[in-house]
Amino acid sequence: MKKTMLFIALVAMMVLPLFAQGEAEQAASGEFVPTKTIEWYCTSSPGGGSDIFTRAIIDIIKAEGLANGQDIVIQYKTDGAGEVGRNLVSNTKAGKADYTLLTFNSGDLMPMVKNTPNRIEDFTPLSHMAVDKHLIFASPDSKYQSAEQIIAALKAGESMVLGGSKGDDIACHAALSEELGVDQDTFSYIAHDSTGAAITTFLGGHVDLLISKPAAASEYVTAGKIIPVLALSTSRFPGNLSVAPTLSELGYNDVEVPNWRSVVGGANMSDAARDFWSDVFGKVSQTDAWNNDYINKKKLVPDYMDWKEYKAYADKFQADYLSTL
Amino acid sequence: MENLFLLLDGFQVVFTLQNVLVTLLGAVLGLIVGAMPGVGSLAGVALLLPLTYRFNPTTAIIMLGALYYSNMYGGSFSAILLNIPGDTPAVMTALDGYPMAMKRKRPGQALFTSNISSFVGGLIGMLILTFMGPALADLGLKFGPAEMTALLLVAMTSIGWLVGKNPTKGVVLTLVGILIATMGMDTLTGSPRYNFGSMYLLGGIPFTPFVIGSVGFAQVLKLVSEKNNKVEAHLEEKLTIKGSLLTRHELRRLLPPALRSGFLGTFVGVLPGAGATTGSFLGYALQKSFKSEEELGTGAIEGVAACEAANNAAAAGSFAPLLALGIPGSGTGAVLLGGLMMWGLNPGPLLFSTQPDFCWGLISSLFLANLLTLMIALLIIPFLIKILTVPIKLMIPAITVICIVGAYSTSNSMYGVLVMFVSGVLGFVLDRNGYSTAPMLLSFVLAPLLESNMRKAFIISRGSIGIFFDKPISLVLMLILFAIILTPIVRGVVTKIQGSKG
Repeated sequence: MKKTMLFIALVAMMVLPLFAQGEAEQAASGEFVPTKTIEWYCTSSPGGGSDIFTRAIIDIIKAEGLANGQDIVIQYKTDGAGEVGRNLVSNTKAGKADYTLLTFNSGDLMPMVKNTPNRIEDFTPLSHMAVDKHLIFASPDSKYQSAEQIIAALKAGESMVLGGSKGDDIACHAALSEELGVDQDTFSYIAHDSTGAAITTFLGGHVDLLISKPAAASEYVTAGKIIPVLALSTSRFPGNLSVAPTLSELGYNDVEVPNWRSVVGGANMSDAARDFWSDVFGKVSQTDAWNNDYINKKKLVPDYMDWKEYKAYADKFQADYLSTL
Repeated sequence: MENLFLLLDGFQVVFTLQNVLVTLLGAVLGLIVGAMPGVGSLAGVALLLPLTYRFNPTTAIIMLGALYYSNMYGGSFSAILLNIPGDTPAVMTALDGYPMAMKRKRPGQALFTSNISSFVGGLIGMLILTFMGPALADLGLKFGPAEMTALLLVAMTSIGWLVGKNPTKGVVLTLVGILIATMGMDTLTGSPRYNFGSMYLLGGIPFTPFVIGSVGFAQVLKLVSEKNNKVEAHLEEKLTIKGSLLTRHELRRLLPPALRSGFLGTFVGVLPGAGATTGSFLGYALQKSFKSEEELGTGAIEGVAACEAANNAAAAGSFAPLLALGIPGSGTGAVLLGGLMMWGLNPGPLLFSTQPDFCWGLISSLFLANLLTLMIALLIIPFLIKILTVPIKLMIPAITVICIVGAYSTSNSMYGVLVMFVSGVLGFVLDRNGYSTAPMLLSFVLAPLLESNMRKAFIISRGSIGIFFDKPISLVLMLILFAIILTPIVRGVVTKIQGSKG
């Protein structure tokens, strides 16, 4: 027994300095270069918007050789509506945190801040990549086919139901009803699990209006099943969505609740690793593959911010959101 | 008729060497994935999706479609042989499949029944999909929150057929199922319910580990507690296909439930939010209201046929809204949809007209996959039955490992394993005390759907109950509901009056 203990102690003494050295070396050189496999957490299921975003970036990193040839593995952690995965990343120990990334959207931040003690301060913001905005759609069979008619009807006390997804869609509805000065009994909202489910209810004629991001709705506009009536943005959308005016064109203040897509690390990520990743994502955002195959195809607005800029932006976003709760 | 030609065109797409091989590969993988508890079609499709990026979209979807489809076959294998559902729709298969294999000592016939009815149910679903796909999808759209609420209320009454000999125990477990289902985030407002401050409970109780535990792991505990009873080996079983064949009479028994469930399942598959699991539950419940030669739950051929046919039909039916409208009818459908976008296709109402090769190729590959899977599944019956010759003392640790791996892989975390263990103990205790877990599982599946649809309906109607009676579909469903509830009461009163007169 004693011998075994002694042996373990000896081995530990020999091995420990190796670890210490490894960490010391990295900190001393001031430069971070990945030397092992990177784990990238995604808190929604494969196939969804976050997954596609994550894969698009990873494909580009691999193709351009931006991560020193290291492999990047996606880990799907959907437990607790994503909170478990987010909590795990925020608490990753120093060292490992340099190799741990998380896909993070405003749609993730809102429920996290609302339901858990975690805040953006528990993460290291790395890069803001793109923004998704919303439109309101009406049915070609409905009584009202334009934003003016709809707003007039709402103001006259006619009740309407808006269908959409969760998170930022709900926030859009709240902001819109406040700007129009209609109470939420008159202009009520039904949250669906996904935009797809909301479109189903809308196409069946069970709700009056639909809120969606452009990518999910565009095909239905082309097919003539839905018509865009209002852009929740500061400018009109391109292509087949351009017929929808913004609120400022109708004499109101513009309402927008952008759903931003970003990448963050854990709170314990080293400054060197933070600078490295922020730089990598900056390079990704400059590639043709990113702009053509992802941004344009998904009808997003490209908006790269490095960690400094993004941190300030996210802090403000969180503060604004907390004040509405 | 036009659709038939389009389907034939589709077969032209499928019958290239590459696509046939890919269908075969998908079918084999689907069987394996389906047979492994916990790794259902959702995980299977999600895992293989990245492999298909370099394929052309048609080949890729053919492989994934075949995988998704054959998965429904594989799930019943472990349900029948081990009483552990390989995927969630197979929960109901275990109710009759396992007794048929063990008590009646007819494992080969049980597998044969399941395979044949899967084939029949799937075929019905595919034929309906071929000839009425877009119309079917439009019918699905008519089912808004009010209609779905009415339909789910009717479905809830079917629990009455599952409660068994002791109605009180059945009702208690139904309510427990509803209670457990309400845990986690409220689907409409996103506020947490019954999470007790735990981050894990915020997402609710995951269904797959819950089922693996309350059915599969409970079975392990039962085996352990009965280890002193002498268990006869099944070596005298004939381990050949010939020994597993059904008699002509048995085939005749199999057909009516399989046909009924085929139609019902297809319809359920098309509905928003309902999938193969709901389909097989309802198929089984429907069979309860028809006559079976042997009592359901004791290893009746009708029971196995009803749920297997329904879940395969539902799997086929769920392709209708996916292809015609770009709307996924199930979680797996959502992953397929994600795949379509990755391959550069725009799923939506235009897919049938802009990508006919793709759509009809997929539909015809389902036919091919159905046939191939049936052949493979029948051929491997003798090998599958050999599992039963493994001694119980080796089975117990093996099944435990399978349960743990299955529960872990649903969300890649030990949380699933914990849920599995706890619900296993719960299932065992309930079983010991004469409670059947089926009502609990059914209400667990239906309650969240019912809740969200009912609340949506009340938002639309501003709290007025009239919404359930205004439109024809929901009105008819509500009348059916009242008829189901009132018939026994009225009949009881009538008998009483007649009794007092006489």
